[in-house]
Amino acid sequence: MTDTRDHIDPPDDDTLAAEYVLGVLPAADRASVERRIALEAGFASLVSSWERRLVPWTDEIAPVQPPHELWNRISAALPAQRAERPGLWQSLALWRWMTLTTGALAAACLAALVVFVSQPTQAPLIAAIQADGQSRFVATIDPGRNTVSVVPAAYTADASRVPELWLIAPGDRPRSLGLLRADATVSLRIPENLRALATRQATLAVSLEPPGGSRTGAPTGPVIATGRLTSL
Amino acid sequence: MEADGRAILVAALARVAAGERNALQTTYRLTSAKLFGVCLRILNNRAEAEDVLQEVYVTVWQKAADFDPKRASPMTWLITIARNRAIDRLRASGQARRMQPIEEAADIADAAPLAEAMVEDAESNAKLRGCLGGLADHEQQALRGAFFDGNTYEELAARMSVPLGTMKSWIRRALMKLKTCLEA
Repeated sequence: MTDTRDHIDPPDDDTLAAEYVLGVLPAADRASVERRIALEAGFASLVSSWERRLVPWTDEIAPVQPPHELWNRISAALPAQRAERPGLWQSLALWRWMTLTTGALAAACLAALVVFVSQPTQAPLIAAIQADGQSRFVATIDPGRNTVSVVPAAYTADASRVPELWLIAPGDRPRSLGLLRADATVSLRIPENLRALATRQATLAVSLEPPGGSRTGAPTGPVIATGRLTSL
Repeated sequence: MEADGRAILVAALARVAAGERNALQTTYRLTSAKLFGVCLRILNNRAEAEDVLQEVYVTVWQKAADFDPKRASPMTWLITIARNRAIDRLRASGQARRMQPIEEAADIADAAPLAEAMVEDAESNAKLRGCLGGLADHEQQALRGAFFDGNTYEELAARMSVPLGTMKSWIRRALMKLKTCLEA
């Protein structure tokens, strides 16, 4: 019971890594281990190996739902200075590639992407805004219905007119969501009064308008492409 | 976690690394209950566990680019962040909350058969359980006190009424036995 033969201080690196991952070290030792992890790749890899060995033990811990408002706290606490670089979701290349592939494959890709965000709350909405069976733009509306992101796919800029996006709910007139670009993803805030209209029954349409957009509040130029919103 | 779930999480973390808030929210939806459970188990205090969980996801937001799916499973990576933050908080608070003699906590030891195979595949979990089961009772209890309650060597020595040197020997030997068994 009191065998202390193999109690040698300081321990070898592998033992130290194991103690750190197990969680048995006091604060000062933890801090010094963390400095070594940051500086020594070999030591860091010993730590990773112990994480791989021990962390599966947490399967014994039952999940506990955190309070509902915690996400809002986290969201508000996120550092604002971090640049929002476009990711996969907004990737022009991805969407362009998708429009070139067969419909079935494209739908599978859309489905795969939608799974990411289609958990408990509302699913995001997606529309392929097409003409002649080809997607000109691909639009996604976030689960909170706050923004619509529109990626140009097969759309060539018009010399004198700009593309404008319209939301058309069943039985309603077209409502402008803003101007699109031929060369970049555009994220448009959906006005609060229009959020309820962004449903699976609604259609998105793109018309060509004078620079600055339609001045009448309704499409004035030709409608070049349309697409139904869907959540797949 | 099943292969599909893992792929979804890996993809979501890649998008977090690219700065997409939606992806962080997705990650949160998929993993917050597990990570909150982990924080709560170590801290044994809801308010502190909530604070730590917030720190965890802010860390994920900042560090997602460091996650390498070739080197770690996404759940292992996330749980590691949660455990480290929770243990740091426990140390900072300067008081150990779980200090009852370890015998009284023994019922925890065989409670909760693996709830759900979130972390790795069932096979490696079964192996870990088998290897843990192969340790002596006092070794298992000491490892549990450290892993689940965040106890230090000194706290464990007090809880199990043995000298500090003995506790260090127990734990170090148990860890090396575990490693040998897992790699067999």
